[in-house]
Amino acid sequence: MSELLGSAAVKDGLKVRGSEVLGMAVRGGSVVSTVRIGKEVYGPLIPMGKCGVLVGMEPAEALRNIAYLSKSGLVILNTKKIIPYTVSLGQSEYPSLEKIIEQLGRVARKVIAIDASQIAEGAGSPLSANIAMLGAVFGTERLPVKVETIKGTIRARFSAKLAPVNLKAFDLGYQKCQQALR
Amino acid sequence: MAELTISSDAAGEKLYLLGNEAIARGAIEAGVQVAAAYPGTPSTEILETLAKVAKTFGIYVEWSVNEKVAFEVALAASVCGLRALASMKHVGVNVAHDPLMTASYIGAKGGLVLLSADDPWAWSSQNEQDNRYIAEQGYIPVLEPSSVQEAKDMMVDAFRLSEEFKQLFMVRSVTRIGHGRSDVVLGEISKERRKGVFEKDRSWLVYTPTEARKNRVLMIERFERIKKAVDTLSYNQLELVDGARLGIIACGLSYSYALEAIKWLGLESKVSVLKIGTPHPLPGKLVKKLLGSVEKVLVVEELEPFVENHVKAIAGEDNIRVKIHGKDLIPLVGELSTRKVTEAIARLTKSKAPVNFGELDKIAQEVALILPSRPPTLCPGCPHRASQYAMKTAGRRVARELGEDVEPIYPGDIGCYTLSYCPPIESMDIDICMGAGFGIANGLAHVVDVPVIAQIGDSTFFHAGIPAMINAVFNKAKITMVILDNRATAMTGFQPHPGTGYTAMGEKTVAINPEDIARACGIKFVEVLDPFDLKKAIDTFERAIKFEEPAVVVSRSPCAVIAVRERKEAGEEIGACFIEQDKCNSRCEACIKLLGCPAIVKEDGKAVIDNSLCIGCGICAQICPYKAILVR
Repeated sequence: MSELLGSAAVKDGLKVRGSEVLGMAVRGGSVVSTVRIGKEVYGPLIPMGKCGVLVGMEPAEALRNIAYLSKSGLVILNTKKIIPYTVSLGQSEYPSLEKIIEQLGRVARKVIAIDASQIAEGAGSPLSANIAMLGAVFGTERLPVKVETIKGTIRARFSAKLAPVNLKAFDLGYQKCQQALR
Repeated sequence: MAELTISSDAAGEKLYLLGNEAIARGAIEAGVQVAAAYPGTPSTEILETLAKVAKTFGIYVEWSVNEKVAFEVALAASVCGLRALASMKHVGVNVAHDPLMTASYIGAKGGLVLLSADDPWAWSSQNEQDNRYIAEQGYIPVLEPSSVQEAKDMMVDAFRLSEEFKQLFMVRSVTRIGHGRSDVVLGEISKERRKGVFEKDRSWLVYTPTEARKNRVLMIERFERIKKAVDTLSYNQLELVDGARLGIIACGLSYSYALEAIKWLGLESKVSVLKIGTPHPLPGKLVKKLLGSVEKVLVVEELEPFVENHVKAIAGEDNIRVKIHGKDLIPLVGELSTRKVTEAIARLTKSKAPVNFGELDKIAQEVALILPSRPPTLCPGCPHRASQYAMKTAGRRVARELGEDVEPIYPGDIGCYTLSYCPPIESMDIDICMGAGFGIANGLAHVVDVPVIAQIGDSTFFHAGIPAMINAVFNKAKITMVILDNRATAMTGFQPHPGTGYTAMGEKTVAINPEDIARACGIKFVEVLDPFDLKKAIDTFERAIKFEEPAVVVSRSPCAVIAVRERKEAGEEIGACFIEQDKCNSRCEACIKLLGCPAIVKEDGKAVIDNSLCIGCGICAQICPYKAILVR
């Protein structure tokens, strides 16, 4: 998802920096990916207090990264929880969604909660939840990347069978975000 | 127009690349003809990228059995006049250290580049070592990029410089370069293809004491020439600001943090900046120029005070009176960030950071209290979980027969299975580096009188496990050696290894079986088991642990990720397990507490299986005391 966004931004002539976490942490652990887009960009990491849009693919993981959000920042939150095994083992507890949204509100200007998995299923494939979230990010109208460019990137990246499903998921996510912001 | 790719010959065009892809692209542009590596985060994608385009560009690409061999493969190509790359993670360079220290006496004929991918904060590693010190030990010049674009450009120049100065070069990447992303302007791809020729000349290729003494002198002379050249290299840049009292020296990626910090603090017109692209050797003239123009200096670099100490030495030699700060203000541990550099500069200049970090820290600490911890864990259906359960059950049974206080010791190794140190499995008691599990087990066998059960993955076994296995036979170490054979280098992304039967370039080759090696080494107990046949597996482990001589058990089942992928490709349905709630005694929790499978969760006090995660391996069904779990 961040790679698609970054590629689209490059096509629009913008400068982009990003970072990913690969390797050991990927095995069920917390991972963070960053994308910085603009006319003036520095390192790959977003400094604390400077993130414009925090995209939480999972509620607890969104809250874990709250300190990166800026005071004017938005949170796009996928409401689908992934319960870590430490909770099943009784070593930790998972807070309620309401509690997570309330805590995110301590920094965020607005939290836009979306059931991306449901949107994805509605679009035709549960695997396009990430693209639904990407649509929601564009729905904030805070990105300097053109919607047409990201759609072109999605079209080029997926097979003829999967591209329409993903484009539909993108549009549904976009609309959901717009409704929430209204 | 066709989509641009990593192999497009489209100089001037822009692509959004992963740092490691950009490094590979740099090697392609330089006309690299041989590339060898062993997988290791954060370096793996370099060779993976090259392997994909190997045939297009006529590059010989291999996953070597370990980093030592990878480096030797590249060195041989260089000696024969070809441009060659060896890439590896920071601790991989330790494995290649032996040839490396004499290769620098040889120097290079064809451009020879060692890519060292360091891992500040040890995101995916056992330590945070700083390989600039290894380079220093071998008079090896180091290029350190400040951005993904520069990583690509430096690769091109590293090959050129290596040939110009007849010396091997190190390019030091870090996690946030290799796994960073950026728009990258592509350069021209060299079309030059040389033919490898080995010219016999013992005077620089055979290392007896006589040659060593002579070539050491030549190596030092080469290094002195490089020292003079780096002052004018464009990767080192001095921006002097009139009247600046503070000078900042920033090395590699730290330069990007320093620039952003200076802008944040609004100090652009008050600070002079020296960007360092060659930490070894430093551009001495530029350093002196900066030191002579300011009252104090802050050296910004990740990990060790490598540049700082050299800058202090330069100041001392020339008697330049200037206060040099570095690791007194910049953290020694972990990776840097704009915040950390901002705080250091703010302290020195008595200015104020634009963000209230203290307030954000407080919020982060408060929310951490209500968040569940999410450590990495073995995947649902992972054969290692079944192996660990069987191994530990057998270990416990044998120990019980030996006495009440007896507890087996489980030395481990590097791979996905390292995660079995976590609760609830906890079947790893000591874990150091590639191959150390069997080595440590050898030592333990001679000093303790409890069962010693060591485990190693298949790729790691080929990499560094075999000598320790031979040692156990030779020195009669009564240990159980478990080889977890999932037919892949799984942790780094399923690269082929000597047991898989195919090469990095996709060619079929002999698949070497660990059990054949064990038998050939004189191990008398060698058995292969399927960890998902739990009862039989436990019995085999038990007999191995009781065996009076060194024993080898190969636990073989393909990595769950690969197994699922292959089943999907074959059009097979992925199974899943179900808990029959009327049979389940929800207080027992054996499935949860003994296996720690992420697919088994508690919902409203009941154990349930998340079908989106479960792949139906059925281990939970085999251990459920109430037979309440069905596999479909």
